[in-house]
Amino acid sequence: MTADAFLFWFLAFVTVVSGLSVILMVNPIYSALSLAMTMIGVAAIFVTLNAYFLAGVQLIVYAGAVMVLFVMVLMLFDLKHEIQAFTRGRLTGAIKIASVGILSGLIVGAVTMGLKTPVVITASSDVAAAPTVDTTRALAENLFIKNVLGFEVLGVMLLVIAVGAVALSRSKGGTHARD
Amino acid sequence: MTTMGSTTIEIAINLVKTILVFLMMVQAVPILVWLERRGSAFIQNRFGPNRVGPLGLVQLLADAVKFLKKEDFVPEKGNRFLFYCAPVFAMIPGAIAYMAIPMSVPLVTESYTFLIQGYEINVGIVFILGISSLAAYTILMAGWGSGSKFSLMGALRASAQIISYELALGLAIVGVILLYGTFNLAEMIQSQSGSLNFQGFGYTVAANWLPNWGIFYQPIGALLFFAATFAESNRLPFDLAEGEAELVAGFHTEYGGFKMLMFFIGEYAHMMVASGLMVTFFFGGYSIWNFSPEEVHSWIMNTFSVAPFTANVLNSIIHFLSYTIKFALFLWIFIHVRWTLPRFRYDQLMDLGWKTMLPWALANSILTAAIIFIGSHFTL
Amino acid sequence: MPLGGVIFVTIFIAIFGTLLIYLARWTGGKAKKTSQAKFDIYECGIEVQEKKDTKVSVKFYLTAILFILFDIEVIFMFPWASNFKSFIASGAGVYIFSSMMIFLGIFIFGLWWEIKSKALEWD
Repeated sequence: MTADAFLFWFLAFVTVVSGLSVILMVNPIYSALSLAMTMIGVAAIFVTLNAYFLAGVQLIVYAGAVMVLFVMVLMLFDLKHEIQAFTRGRLTGAIKIASVGILSGLIVGAVTMGLKTPVVITASSDVAAAPTVDTTRALAENLFIKNVLGFEVLGVMLLVIAVGAVALSRSKGGTHARD
Repeated sequence: MTTMGSTTIEIAINLVKTILVFLMMVQAVPILVWLERRGSAFIQNRFGPNRVGPLGLVQLLADAVKFLKKEDFVPEKGNRFLFYCAPVFAMIPGAIAYMAIPMSVPLVTESYTFLIQGYEINVGIVFILGISSLAAYTILMAGWGSGSKFSLMGALRASAQIISYELALGLAIVGVILLYGTFNLAEMIQSQSGSLNFQGFGYTVAANWLPNWGIFYQPIGALLFFAATFAESNRLPFDLAEGEAELVAGFHTEYGGFKMLMFFIGEYAHMMVASGLMVTFFFGGYSIWNFSPEEVHSWIMNTFSVAPFTANVLNSIIHFLSYTIKFALFLWIFIHVRWTLPRFRYDQLMDLGWKTMLPWALANSILTAAIIFIGSHFTL
Repeated sequence: MPLGGVIFVTIFIAIFGTLLIYLARWTGGKAKKTSQAKFDIYECGIEVQEKKDTKVSVKFYLTAILFILFDIEVIFMFPWASNFKSFIASGAGVYIFSSMMIFLGIFIFGLWWEIKSKALEWD
């Protein structure tokens, strides 16, 4: 086995194991930490595909920002009410069955697609030869020149989310309403 | 791809090199602690540790022995697993980020380029930013694993502070990236070698006696970056995470002995990353004033009349010394600031981060972009 | 490949740290339970007050959410900044400059609104 293949299998193993532990762990904090580990593993897999900038973004935004918020929220809330509400009940059962169905559909789809599409093997040296600056440049070209409208709309969307977050933080209610 | 050799021996050399850099960082911590204690004593007109050995230097060994003799303690209310994991993970982000910083001119032999750094990452800045943003996890793990409310509050404050200042940090770096047009730290250092040479608006302003360092192009960026790194590494005046008046010791309230020391190593590693990045972005990295590495190399060849390979080695050593001097200067500024400035209040800290540093960093990047844009399109 | 080095060092530091903890445990010994108070969590001289239903200011979550949003906007500036000079050299400077300035205009409006609506106010 070559070093690249070993690296890929190692990273795939780490990512899949941490992804599985997200759903198998009983303690939600361990789940959130495993999800962070999954994000880091995905970032490392991006690096093996020479998507250096994307890997960095994955680390900064997902592992460094989104999951920190998750872990923070989980650690500070006593989640007993929520765990009770989400593990029992008819609605939760329906959601469980639905998600099992979706998962099995995904697996069947992936297997049939994988059997149909011929696997294109690219020599790793070709991938390695592609310089990094160009991928970042292509990304910039796509974002700021070709799809500039979408980019600006994204800015507006982020603004809307920010306004919504502020509005939510001022509302009262839910399981942790102030009494 | 160039850093990892093709043969097993080269790979082994590279891996051993990363371990060496890590051990160097660990070794620097006791020296920094000694410097911090002596320096604070100096500032506060005290003696500091001066009994054990010359200048109190052997105090470090005594401290290490003391740490080893401490009982291994886990609070009953805490989560044992996270409590043990947190200090181990605390050492990782700082050390990994530091290894991406070039410390000297690469040593070139006939067949192989030996980089004086752990490994070269193509997108150095993005990598370092991403890795150091993972430091929030160790703090949260320590805070929650301790099971103490003081730890939890400290961790919460620390992580809120770290993420608030990461924005100003990232925006201050945008100005730097605009200036050099690359993510690669080695390329940044290369474009800073030589003497000051400003081009734009159809003019060329050159000063032969000044180096071409980033600080002359990005003074506001440098100030904002340095201030934000103080907050990132939880040092005074931003050490609200361990404000002892209200939170005892913050997220490491329940820690002691060697586990505490590991948090120390992590904190000092963050300081080292900050100093290294400061040197790399704004003070020319390993370059010596306004002499480029090639000039220094030919000077060594002519003065000592040695073989090119020996000259290469000497060149790397001299540039490493140059880097170390600048690096140590910034570490000293970290220590000096800690013992001369008072702590912020929490609302002041958040106001400074969100309402002062973020707009200024934004203004700095817009200004830099506008000057580059106008300067290359119009002439005065 | 640098990734190999990064993973190697991560694993090395993890093993190194674990060994250090075991070393310290071996030399220092496990904490002897001489009294219950020794094993309690820290408290300022009174009986331990548990953190049963912690009420934390919503500002912390708001800060974290706003951080994520602004962080995404900052991240978008990175590929823009690294290619700015080369785009100017290839003549596309006007487009790339103006598209980012519009984006930053929205960003600045958002920041101004956050400050004005006192969402970033800590008391």
